[in-house]
Formats: sequence, C-alpha cells, structure tokens
Amino acid sequence: MQLKQSTQLKSLLTTATCALLGSTTTQANELENWQFDTALMVYSEVDRVSAAEAIIAGERTYDNDQVLNLKLTLDALTGASANGAVAQPHVQTFTRPSGKGQYQADANTTPLDDTFKDTRVQLTGQWTQPLSDGYTWSVGGNFSKEFDYMSLSGNTNIAKDFNKKNTTVSAGIALAFDQIKPKGGIPDPLTPMIISDLISGYDDEGEDDDDGINPSSIASSDNKTTVDLLFGVTQVINRRMLVQMNYSFSQVDGYMTDPYKILSVLDINGISQEYRYEKRPDSRQKHAFYLQTKYHFEHSIIDASYRFMTDDWGINSHTVDLRYRIMLAGDHYIEPHLRFYKQAAADFYQPFLNQGTALPEFASADYRIGEMDTYTLGIKYGMPMKSGQKLAFRVEYYNQAPKNAGFTQPGVLAEQQIYESIDAIIAQVSYSF
Amino acid sequence: MKKSHLLKASLVMLSIILTGCSSLGVEPWERDLLAKDEMALSSAPLDAALDDHIYFSKEASSGGRSFGGGGCGCN
Amino acid sequence: MLKKPSRTIKSQPRDAGFLICFHAMASPCEVLIDTDDENHARTLGAIAAHEAWRIEDKFSRYLSHSVCGQLNANAGKRCAIDKETYLLLKFADDCYQMSAGLFDITSGILRKAWHFDGSDNIPSSAQISALLPLIGWQKTTLTETSFQMQQGMEIDLGGLGKEYAVDRSLQLINQQTDAPVLINFGGDLAANKARVIQHKAQPWQIGIDHPSFKKQQVVVSITTGAVATSGDANRFLLKNGKRYSHILNVKTGWPVDNPPSAITVAAPQCIQAGFLATLALLQGEHAESFLHAQGIKYWAIR
Repeated sequence: MQLKQSTQLKSLLTTATCALLGSTTTQANELENWQFDTALMVYSEVDRVSAAEAIIAGERTYDNDQVLNLKLTLDALTGASANGAVAQPHVQTFTRPSGKGQYQADANTTPLDDTFKDTRVQLTGQWTQPLSDGYTWSVGGNFSKEFDYMSLSGNTNIAKDFNKKNTTVSAGIALAFDQIKPKGGIPDPLTPMIISDLISGYDDEGEDDDDGINPSSIASSDNKTTVDLLFGVTQVINRRMLVQMNYSFSQVDGYMTDPYKILSVLDINGISQEYRYEKRPDSRQKHAFYLQTKYHFEHSIIDASYRFMTDDWGINSHTVDLRYRIMLAGDHYIEPHLRFYKQAAADFYQPFLNQGTALPEFASADYRIGEMDTYTLGIKYGMPMKSGQKLAFRVEYYNQAPKNAGFTQPGVLAEQQIYESIDAIIAQVSYSF
Repeated sequence: MKKSHLLKASLVMLSIILTGCSSLGVEPWERDLLAKDEMALSSAPLDAALDDHIYFSKEASSGGRSFGGGGCGCN
Repeated sequence: MLKKPSRTIKSQPRDAGFLICFHAMASPCEVLIDTDDENHARTLGAIAAHEAWRIEDKFSRYLSHSVCGQLNANAGKRCAIDKETYLLLKFADDCYQMSAGLFDITSGILRKAWHFDGSDNIPSSAQISALLPLIGWQKTTLTETSFQMQQGMEIDLGGLGKEYAVDRSLQLINQQTDAPVLINFGGDLAANKARVIQHKAQPWQIGIDHPSFKKQQVVVSITTGAVATSGDANRFLLKNGKRYSHILNVKTGWPVDNPPSAITVAAPQCIQAGFLATLALLQGEHAESFLHAQGIKYWAIR
C-alpha cells in the first residue's frame, strides 16, 4: 500500500474534517452561496376546487449574519366553488360574474360556480440583520398579483435577546394594501342577481372569459387596507424545550365582501325566489393569541401549538396543531400531523334570506364564515440526499364540516343538505439544496 | 367584557414569563439539541406558508404565528 | 490511579485580555481571550471547559461509562452509536484510509506488551504475535448508527480526542464572540483570528512547553488555524544500546525506527494537525521529509 500523494492527502483530510466538524473549513465558501428550498403542492377537493402551488425560496447569509430571503410563489386554481345559494328540489340558474352567460345547479345539489380559474404570482423579500446589544432587525415586502386581485405589503420587526439568548422579545408591524377588481365589476350589495333570458342562453362551457359588465355592477374595483401588529416572547425552558407566545392584532378597513357570493331569498315554503349579492362590514378587528412549544425527546420532537382568535365580526376560533417528528436511522424521519379547528359563525352569517322580512345591514351565506369544525390528518416523510440536499413528501387529508348555527330550514329546505361537508387531499413534495 | 379579560390575563401571563425567565434557560454549551434545524420554531417554513394559504382561504381565521397571511383574494 | 483533578475554572487578567485555566483530558488547558469584559471572557472560557469535559467524559477509554469504555466492554457485539460518535469513528476511518493503514485506533492494545518506562523490558515476539490478531480497523464494521468490532479488540480515541475538543470548543466560542481567542489544550492549540495590540494585527506567539522537552521549547506564531504536537521523549525503551521509541507500527507491532522525539504541525484545524503529526512520526526517520513533501509547516525535535 502506498501513502496518498501530497495534494490528495490534503484534500482528503479537508473533506474528512468537514464531515467531522461541520462546514467550518468551507464555511467562507458556503456562506457565499444561496440555500434553496422548493415545494410543490397539490390541493384537491372532491368535486370542487383544485389548486397547484409551487414555491421557490432562496436564503443567503452574508458576513455579520445578515440574511436575505427571497421567495417566489406561483399557484393555479380551477374548479367549482359554493356560491352561497342553498340547494333546492329543482334546477337553479345563476348569472355568471361577468354578467354574460349563465350556469345551472342540478336539483338537490349545493350550487357551485364553476367559473373559478385563477393564477397567482407572489414575490416576497425579507432582510434580517443583527444590531448591537442583542437586537435583531428585519424588514420585508410582498407583492402578489392574480387576475382579479393585487396585494402590496411591507413589514418591519425588531427582536431583542436577553438572558444568554434564552429569552427573545419581538415586536413587528405590517401594512398591506389590497385591490380587488372582480370579473364583471363590484356587484351592488344585497341587490338581486339579475337573471335575464335576454342576456344570453345557457352557457355550458364552464368558462367566463368575456370582459363583460355585470348589470348589477356599481364599480370596477375596490380596495382594503390592513394594519397588523405582532408581539412575541420566545423562551428556552431547558435543554429540550422552548416555548413561544404571540399576540397579534389586525385592523382591516375597506372592501371585504366576496363579490362572487350570493344568498338565496326563500319564501315561507323554503322555495328560492331570487338571489342577492352578499355584503360584509367594511371594518374588521382581529385579536389572535398563539402559544407554541417544541420538546425534544431522545429520538423524537413534538411540536404543539394552540391559537385562539376573536374578532368584532363575532368569529371566535380555536386551532390546535400537533406534529410529532420521529427520527429514524440515517437522518430519515416520519412526522404525523394532526390539526383541529373550530369556529363560531360571524354575527351576520345566515344561510339564506327570508322573503318579506327587512333586509339586514350585512349578510353572507359563505360557509367559511359560518359555524364550522375542520380537521387535518397528515403524514410527512423526509430524508437526506447524498450531498446534503433534503427531500420530503407530505400527504394530508382535510375535512371541513360546516354546522348549523341555529337556523331553522323552512318548508322544502328541511329536506336539503345545506351544510355539506368537504373533503380535500393535500399532497406535497419538498426539496432543499 | 370578554376581550378585556383576555387581554388582562395574557398581560399577567406575559409578566410572569418575563420575570420567571431569568431562572429558565440553558448555558451556551447546552444548546446541542436546541441548535438543530428541526428544533427551530418554524422548522418547515414552506409547509407553514402553504398551510397558511390553504387555511386562510378555507377558514375565517388567520395570523397568530406570524403576520396574518393575506395577499390573495381567496377570502 | 491519580486522583482526578477537580473541575474548576480560574480566570486572570493577561496582557490584552484574560487567561482562563482549567484541567481536562490529563492536561492543563488554557483559553486566551482578548477582551476588556471579564464576564464575557469567563463565559467563553466556561464554554471551552464544559466542551472539553464533555468530550473527555464521552470518549475517554479510562472511563468505563464512556462511549469508548462501553464499546470496548462490548467488543464482539453490535453496539448502537450516536451521530457524534459515528462522525468521530468515521474520521478515524478516513485517517486509516489516508495513512494506508498506519493510523489505526485499534492499535492501543499493543500497550499490553509494550511498557515504555525507560527500562530494557522488550516484549517477546510471541507476546506481540498474540496481540496482532486483535488489531486492525478493517475488522470493524461502522454504520451511521452502529459499530461492531471483534471480541478482544479495543479502540482508543486518545490520539484524536484532545484535538477534536480544541476544534469543537473554538467552534462554540465563535458562535458567541467576535473577540480574538486562542485555545491551548496541553499543547494542542487553535486560534480564530489575529489579536489586535495597539491597533495592529499581531499573530499569537506560543511557546509549546511540553514537559519532556525542557531545553527545546518550540515557539510557534499563528494568526488563525491550529497547531498540534505528537511525541513524548520520556517514553522509550533502551536495550543493548538500541533505543525503542513508543511509536509502534501496527502492522508489525514493533517500534518504528528513529522517529523524531516530537513533531509540531500546523494545519487549518487542530484535528488535522494532530493526525499529520502522528502520521509523520509513523514515518520514522523519514518524518521530516514526509511533511516537507506534503508542503506542511512543521517543527521537529530530534
């Protein structure tokens, strides 16, 4: 056996030392480079919406621990979404959002608007840098654009470490400006949907490409502003455990109505007479309390969080999220995930309007602001690749079960399922390099 | 007044944590487990971003963990 | 057995900063920190001390509860190992490969035949031949989660542990400070950056005071990187005018011919320097030419 040649010995030794001591010897080079995380996710509801979302995020660490994060998100959405009207024992006909063309819902089925087709591009950037005395400062921006929507936001955050970095206190603010430019314009809220046989015949293509103006439109666009405040404390408890507590406050002003959502107006027999566009308040104040803990067992980590949210629309919600990461041989891991969510209905939520009674100030039949329980069951499997890349797969099942918040269903409606539950599958592949 | 009670309770908890924290924590050389990537509070940021987007558009709540989502016309 | 020195940390002011002293791995250990802040210096010194003690407790072969003690006690069985142990054994494996089998952490068992006490007590060929089957890294099986060697075999990480502790301690300290720091664990040392004295960058000047080289002190000067020393002039046997060094060739079980008394080697990391110094001694009388050919900076004492 021959001893290795000189150049070879040095480089072999460098490689061997890197493996032992981490990247110290090549740190200078590695820090120059970007670290990328990518993910591709497919979300698919049974008979309803399907979405695909791709993210590429790059992180670059500079000298002095400054960090730049850039993220590009693309997503595409197709399929049908509940329009807010209730199921009826007969076929129902609705005007498409553009005002041109119509679509129908079969008897005894939840009416779905199959117009939905959208793509979104989102760009996010964040700069984080340490200051003196244990302070860390961060600033970021976000731009997102889809066919009928645009959002622009900026945020800044300051954090301070105390007590040998065992305690971190942070405060942040984010401001956002969103503009919605719905297809067909902003419908006049709480006015009836105009369904005229004269506009056009039944359009069975399931598309709505015309830039028509809905006869109910009162404006082409509207907007809203959001101010978010976030305060947090992170505390290391011991070698195995840490805890985070956050309080966040959010003030939203402007147009929060969903321009594509309607309510059925029922007579005393539960038969639909007309449909009216929904209307939500133009101000919303949210408070969220969030508690998260992570605990490192010998060969597993539990990540548990709880959130309580309450707002002045009357929505209170509880969210529990549990992830249990089990470390396997060779840095593989398997991570079951459980999530439970429960929300109360907004004060102005009602599944339908009653003919002959005065119109309320606000009304929405959108099940997403009604009483609802949801749960998610998932599992993730991750593994390292040969030269430090990481690959992970995730599959989850998501169930939404809207609940009756105490509304009686008149006449024929008693026979209809108006709180239909929704099943969805989420599949995701992540790759980091 | 439910909300002011909640606010008060959380402020009390916060002060307990802030005063009690000096006895909690670890020395720098005991950070072997906490220093792992998988022990970071957001150890899978892309999973969290995707989840936030799903739940923001399918449920009436947002925020808490970080800034309240948004940036999409889904809700 | 000597009484184990107590685990205390002392600090004292010293030219541009503070000197932290403690005892670990059978050696006096020092951490020099150029800072005005004594508390900060004490914190950093404590980081190094706790890391050195942790590594000593985990990998010393003298401690029956250490990982090393347990692996030796369970030789013949497949033993589960943690990631750090795997990485250290993998490094030992790399050293074995790079040295074409000369650097072998299973060779410590030869101590059963060789007692380098300055006497003429040379073991018999039969004694050595009996031990040779128990030596050979290639007879072990290492995976990321397990290690197995044959019954009767032993491993000894003593040749890497102190240097590893120096590198790890400096790594941990660098996470906590920007101050210039020099770590010296019994003559194995590493520095993170040049010190600044009177607004000028200055290298660290260290005299390596090995107890066995009272007359020839090696003075090294480094800004960043590491230095390690191998060799012990007090450990030898003498018979019929022939000097037997304590550097043993694992393939024959006999001492290599005419190695330097000690070699000090410079490298980016202390564990690299330590391996190169040992590997050079194993070249015997060719030690200096070996290091010269590799283009490695060294100081040899003959």
